[in-house]
Order: sequence, then C-alpha cells, then structure tokens
Amino acid sequence: MLLQLTLSGIAQGSIYALLALGMTVVFRATGVINFAHGEFFMLGAFVVYVLIQYVGAPFFLAAPLAVVAMFFIGRGVERFFIRPIALSPHIILAMMTVALSYLFRGIARLFWGREVLPMPPVFSLPPFEVGDLIVTAQDILMATMTLALVLAFFLFFKLTRFGRVAQAASASPRGAALVGIDVDAFSGNMWGMAAALGGVTGILVAPVTLLYPDMGAQTLIRAFAAMTLGGFGNLGGAVVGGLLLGVMEQWAGGYLSTALIDIFSYLVIVVVLITRPQGLFGSPDVTRV
Amino acid sequence: MPKRLAVLVLAIALAALPLATNDYVQYVLNLILVYGLAAVGFNLVLGYLGQLAFANTAFFGIGAYALGILMEAGLSFWAALLPAGLAGALAGLVVGLPALRLKGYYLAIVTLAFGELMRWGYIHMDAYTHGSSGLGVAAPSLGSLPLDSQAQRYYLILAVAALVVWGVFNLLRSRIGRAWVAIRENESAAASLGYWPARYKVAAFVASGFVTGIAGALFAMLIGRIAPDSFGLNQLLLQFAVVMIGGMSSIWGSILGAALLTATPELLRNFPGAEEIIFSLMLMAVLRFMPRGLAGVLAVRLPMLRERLYRS
Repeated sequence: MLLQLTLSGIAQGSIYALLALGMTVVFRATGVINFAHGEFFMLGAFVVYVLIQYVGAPFFLAAPLAVVAMFFIGRGVERFFIRPIALSPHIILAMMTVALSYLFRGIARLFWGREVLPMPPVFSLPPFEVGDLIVTAQDILMATMTLALVLAFFLFFKLTRFGRVAQAASASPRGAALVGIDVDAFSGNMWGMAAALGGVTGILVAPVTLLYPDMGAQTLIRAFAAMTLGGFGNLGGAVVGGLLLGVMEQWAGGYLSTALIDIFSYLVIVVVLITRPQGLFGSPDVTRV
Repeated sequence: MPKRLAVLVLAIALAALPLATNDYVQYVLNLILVYGLAAVGFNLVLGYLGQLAFANTAFFGIGAYALGILMEAGLSFWAALLPAGLAGALAGLVVGLPALRLKGYYLAIVTLAFGELMRWGYIHMDAYTHGSSGLGVAAPSLGSLPLDSQAQRYYLILAVAALVVWGVFNLLRSRIGRAWVAIRENESAAASLGYWPARYKVAAFVASGFVTGIAGALFAMLIGRIAPDSFGLNQLLLQFAVVMIGGMSSIWGSILGAALLTATPELLRNFPGAEEIIFSLMLMAVLRFMPRGLAGVLAVRLPMLRERLYRS
C-alpha cells in the first residue's frame, strides 16, 4: 500500500509541481503572486473543450492551439491588468489577481453555469499492472510531462540568452532597462509562459477531474503550499515541494484519515511558516533598517 | 453644516429608518450594518496597524459559532454575546503571537490558512457545530418579547454596533491607536521611541478579534442558520473588498463599502456568474483608480469627513 500511495502521490504531486512552477515563474519575474493562476489552468482546459466541441478540431490540434491562446491571454492579462498598477504595493497587485480570478470564474460560470463537462483523455489506454501496483496512463503522462517541462525550464533559464535576460530583469528591472532590455515585453512574455504552462496542466488534468469553473481555485491552494514548502521564488523548490506535498497528502490520507487530505495543504503552510518560513530551499528574509 | 447638527440629523434619520422600509429591505440594511462592523474590525489590523492579516474570516466565524453553540447550550442571546466577542479576542491572541515572526505575504498566507483550518474544524466538529448542515440560531428576546421582525433586530444591531464602534473610536485616539499607526509607518522608529511593537501588534489582533467576533455573533443572529461555507474564502474576499472599496483606515468608509457590496449581490441573485463579474470589476476599478477607496475620494471634497490618522 505504501508504494501505491507513493505512486499516486507522485502523480498528484506532478500537478501541484507544475502549477507551483507557473506561479513561481511569475513571482520571480514580476514579484507578483498570481492568485489567478488556477484560472489559467481552468481556461486552458475550457479552450480545448470549446475547440473540440464547437469547432470540431481534433485533440492533437486543439491542445497546441489552446496553449498558444493561453500564452496570449497571459500577455494580455499582464498588459491590461498588471502593468497599469505595477508600482503599487504588493497587496494591491495580489488583490488584482484575486479579482481577475473571480472575473474569469464568473465568465466561465456565465457560459457553463453549474454543468460539469467531460473532457476526452489524451490517451485512452487501460491501466497497467506492475506487480501489486496499478498505474494509469494518465499518471505516467503527468509525471513525464512534468519532468520534461521542468527540464525545459531549467535549461531555458540557465543556458539560453533569453533566460539570462530573465534573470537580469527580475533581479533589477531598472538595471536591465538601462542596458537595453525591454522589461515590459519581458514581463508580458513571462506571464504568457506561465499562462501557457497553467493551460498545459489544465489540459492534462481535465480528463480526470472534469471541467467546471471552480476547478482551478480548488487546486490553487495546493500549489501555494508547494511553493511555501519549497521556498518562495525557488523554481526547483516549487517542483520538489509539489511532489513532496502530493506524496505526503496521500500518505496522510491513507494512514491517518481521508478527512486530512482536504486540509493537508493548510497544515503544511502553517507548520512551514511557523517553523521555517523560507521553506526547504529558500533563503531567510533579512530586513535591514 | 456644523458638525453637531449633522450628527443630530444623522441620529434622527437612523432612528426613524425602519418606518421607511419593508422587512426585506430592512434585512439588507441590517446585513450592511453587520458587514460594516466586521470591516471596522478588519480595518484595525489591515488599515491602522498596516499588517496583511487575513484572519478576519476566522474571527467572524468563531464569533458566530461561539454564539450559536452557547445559545444552543441554553444561554440567552445577551449572555452569549460578550463571550462570543471574547472568543474572537482569544483567537486574535492565538493569531497575533505567531504574527510577530512573519512579515508581508507570509503573514497573509498563514492567516488565510488559519481561516480555512477553522472552517475544516466547523465541518468536522459535528458534535458542537452540526457540521455542514449548519447550526440554527434562535431569535433573541428582550425579556419575554421575541425580537422577530427585522426592524426590532435593526435597533439591536444598531445599538451593539454603535457601542462597539464608539469603543473603537476611542481606542484609535488613545495611545494604543497612535502606537499602531506609528508601527505601521516605521516599526523601527516606533520601537526607538519606546513603543514596544510586540505588545501593540498583539493588542491590535485581540481588538480586531473582539470586534469581528461581535460582528460574527450579530451575523449569526441575523441569518438564523450558520454553515461552514459562509466563513470561507468568499467571505474573506467580500470583507476585503468592503474595506478596500470603502477605504482602508476609515470607519465610515467601511459602512459605505458594506452598503455597496451587500446591496449588489442581492440585486444580482438570479444571474449565475454576473455577481462575480460585477464584483470583480468593481474591485479592479477601485484597485486601479481609487486605492484610497470611496472614503478617500469623498474626503477630498468634504473636509468634515476627513479622519485623522488616515492611511498615508
């Protein structure tokens, strides 16, 4: 049972890791905690649904199109909602993203109301049995995609020129602007990438969780807990935090009580912030007078 | 218009209000008062102390459930009201102590998590809270007269709220209130002047817990049946919007924000999604164009309404 729980934990944790990664990208690049990231998750899935149901596109076409659409939605969000108030205190920015989350959810609810919509899976393969364990194609897909995306991000940030621009712009926007980096475009692109990432996650997960307007909001807190556990702003930490959270959640649910699963993220947040606020990989916050 | 005359006119208008309304409109007005009081409590920590603490839903819920549980155990509304407030104050203490260690976003997240943990508690401590099916709260009574109508409840809520707000007013003008603003502006400077931050921060959380707890108790009485869902993130956002739209660190701004944000959902009840869209657009407009909220905008025009110790 331990191994089965661990495997489901890793599959679940991959979702949290991907979401946390998207949120960390935005946080690193623009200093904003994007409470609307769950809605990027939700919108990605809904866009694919619309393309398949109403436009008749096949999945392998609809999915990439949706991801591209999400990229532009992310850029649009940055341009029209974040940039005008970029100099406001953090709380204002955070609340703007909360308002955005409500806006997107309201729009989704306007179109789809209380319906819970089904989504065709990426692959329809029966689950494998490896010894005592049951592994679904979905699990494998989630884990592989997570690994691939995380690797891609790391290579991107460390090795490419754009990645170095990203580091410069987030470390010092003014300095970056002084050497000719277009910080506004950079912020827009970062939001676009994060939105695309969120959309990909939604597309991968929707076949299992089904589509409904609140699907993002409910998973968001897990992403939050993952970021807190791994250390805010740390890309690797977000991924490790997500995986760890997924596994611990399943263990707690299996061995202690299923009632704990809902609340596990909150417990993690409280425990981590009280005992070690910087998480596993973050650096302690030092305030100078 | 001289200030005393304005206050007198206001008092008469408030006293005569139920004559002009029917039961439903009065109910909405009662709800506005309750949310206004909750916003005042929230403001103590958010606006005056300047800390990003989102534990107000927790205080609100604790006050509500404390009242409900005590009344179910046999106490009258009047006997249960003060303990409900004190329960909120105790929660304020519990939140305030760890809050000393955390700053900015971290405090926001941990207080949010605390609120959700409390909500999980309401759902799972069935024996006391009746879980998700909700806890019924009986109508209060004055002696042998049950206070059933909204007009009667209006006077009750108005009296309690006025008393509490008067207390808050005095608190804000005392050394404690000034210490809060000093700490908000520059904690190190305040400390160097002899205001020990830890003591005043905890005091702010306790005061906020008390006021919001009383508001929660009034809410429970007004609604008649409280369920865990009422005290989740939706409630948090609503109360935050009330404070932002009304104006941070403005007492009457809280009432104004409550009026606006309570009336709107009632009007949009029948359109799924519309409520959220309008609400989010309002909040966005305020965040973008009026960070000081309605109170800030109006105070420019009407100096009489300007409150000292305004958020800078």
